[in-house]
Amino acid sequence: MTATPARPEVQLPAILAGIRPHARWRELVLLGIATLTLTVGSVSLGATLRARDPRTGGGIPDAAFAPYGAALLAIYLAALLLAHVVLVLSGRRSDQVLLPSVGLLGGISLLLMERLPQDLAGQFGGLAQTQLVWLILAMGVLTIVAVVVRSDAWLRLYKYTWAAAGIALLLLTFVFGRDVGGARLTLDLGPISGQPSELLKVILVVFLAGYLSENRPLLVEQSTALGPIRLPPLPYLAPMAAMWAIALGIVVVQRDLGAALLFFAVFLLLLYITTARWSFVALGVVLFVLGSALMYRLFAHVQQRVDIWIDPFKDASGAGYQVVQALYAFARGGILGTGLGNGLPTVSGRLPIPEIHTDFPLAALGEELGLIGILAILGLYLVVIVRGLRIAASAADDFRALLAAGLSLVVGVQAFIIAAGNLKLIPLTGITLPFISYGGSSLLANALVVGLLLALSDRGVEPPPRPSRAGRLRALLDRGAA
Amino acid sequence: MDAFAASLWLLRFLFLGLLYLFLFAVVRVLVRDLRAAAREPGTELGRLHVLASPAGEPPAGAVFGLDAVTTIGRDVNNAIVVEDQFASAEHAVLTFRGRTWYVEDLASTNGTYVNGSRIDGLAPIGFGDEIQIGQVRVRLERVRR
Repeated sequence: MTATPARPEVQLPAILAGIRPHARWRELVLLGIATLTLTVGSVSLGATLRARDPRTGGGIPDAAFAPYGAALLAIYLAALLLAHVVLVLSGRRSDQVLLPSVGLLGGISLLLMERLPQDLAGQFGGLAQTQLVWLILAMGVLTIVAVVVRSDAWLRLYKYTWAAAGIALLLLTFVFGRDVGGARLTLDLGPISGQPSELLKVILVVFLAGYLSENRPLLVEQSTALGPIRLPPLPYLAPMAAMWAIALGIVVVQRDLGAALLFFAVFLLLLYITTARWSFVALGVVLFVLGSALMYRLFAHVQQRVDIWIDPFKDASGAGYQVVQALYAFARGGILGTGLGNGLPTVSGRLPIPEIHTDFPLAALGEELGLIGILAILGLYLVVIVRGLRIAASAADDFRALLAAGLSLVVGVQAFIIAAGNLKLIPLTGITLPFISYGGSSLLANALVVGLLLALSDRGVEPPPRPSRAGRLRALLDRGAA
Repeated sequence: MDAFAASLWLLRFLFLGLLYLFLFAVVRVLVRDLRAAAREPGTELGRLHVLASPAGEPPAGAVFGLDAVTTIGRDVNNAIVVEDQFASAEHAVLTFRGRTWYVEDLASTNGTYVNGSRIDGLAPIGFGDEIQIGQVRVRLERVRR
């Protein structure tokens, strides 16, 4: 294109030619603070656990103040530093806050997994080792996406292809999925098993950003009057109806309330960001209430979740056990918490909260770090949202703005849904707490999200040319005529 | 044991304190970033980026800040003067109304194209859309803050 000035040619070996480092001091300083925080955390965890160890007989153990699981933490911190160095070498002027924030969340996750019983789960050794492997892979995905993705054309142009892939993934899960804990979430493909809904949320945001940015002028300006209410133009209501149907489909087919709630909430938020019209959101909420009432009537698993939410103490040792124990854990934690390593007494040989490492990490953290600690962790999610919206505000066009806003909101809303579920603010749904819950699919999908955000935040990249095919042809003809 | 218990307490609160130190440092970066953005002049509603211009006026690669009403044409009284044999004297006008940009073709001889299709009078456009006037192609872009 004539508009972009050609890069000066540098005579260097091919590998070195591309390297133009750009220092990221803010990121380095924040990573330093995160490293210090995690080291202190692991020392505190180690000292507490060693003092509680019955073998020391209550006395002060030897080497009480050595960090706990030092090797795992050191490997993780080295991976973070490596990610930083790669970002510096790539020379992109991308965001410097996201990597340290997400890194700190991942580190807290690692501390938590080291502290839980190691035989809960794990493909690569114990719980903490497996989580470390996934965390390192996630940081790798994040870094590679942040460095390599320079153009968003592959997302923008093939939005319907992405949507089709997403629906195919959904159907595949329905047909070949494996039921885990009452929800059909897991898809086994040979040796690899994963939760497609984690990847689906990324695909959904890409599709919605593409669709809404393309139809924004129409959505904003036209409306159908229905008495005093101004509704969106009727043909453009179709996607809303489709989204609603897909969300309901997920509830029916996968019995996954969390993903359905997440998808519909993100859709409404993006619709509002696109149009700035309350009437659309109101309509969506009405649809949501209708759908929820319908689902409650029709499906036992929805009914059970809601009934537990209304009164978990009705069946405190049965259906409501998980929720009741989580509430007790929060209560034991109080404001300042019991201290890392001091929570979670086992009740008659079993864990107090079943599925604590995937569904209830916030309850475990709430017990050991207290209200103060939980607020700090929620603050970290808030940072991701604020940063994403900031990237959206400085984006060059509507697609990028909506993509950045959607990506950050999908992480934030997911964190909110599971946190609120843990705290019995809303019925419990089995989605993961981003970057903290145990599990590969969740970590990798969220790393992909943050990697894309980092790539989008780079101001040095030109938005790709976007003439339609007809436009290109006409331009050719014009040039021929002139 | 007392000293040990005290140092355990200290470590616990040090960890919580460091969590908040991290948040404080992040918020400082965010606030500084927002202040820097606020200092930039913020009256522009959008920008036109010239993608192709065979006649050289306006030059390809040029970027124009847009007011709420911006006229485009060959006449020198237009806000953006287009030196192109296929452009009319008063060719088109870009207006910002409410939340959206519109491009209006002022009954030009050769028409105005949005993303390759000829518009009929007034048409809403979004950021990232391409407008063609004569042989000059421009793209509407958001102001980056």
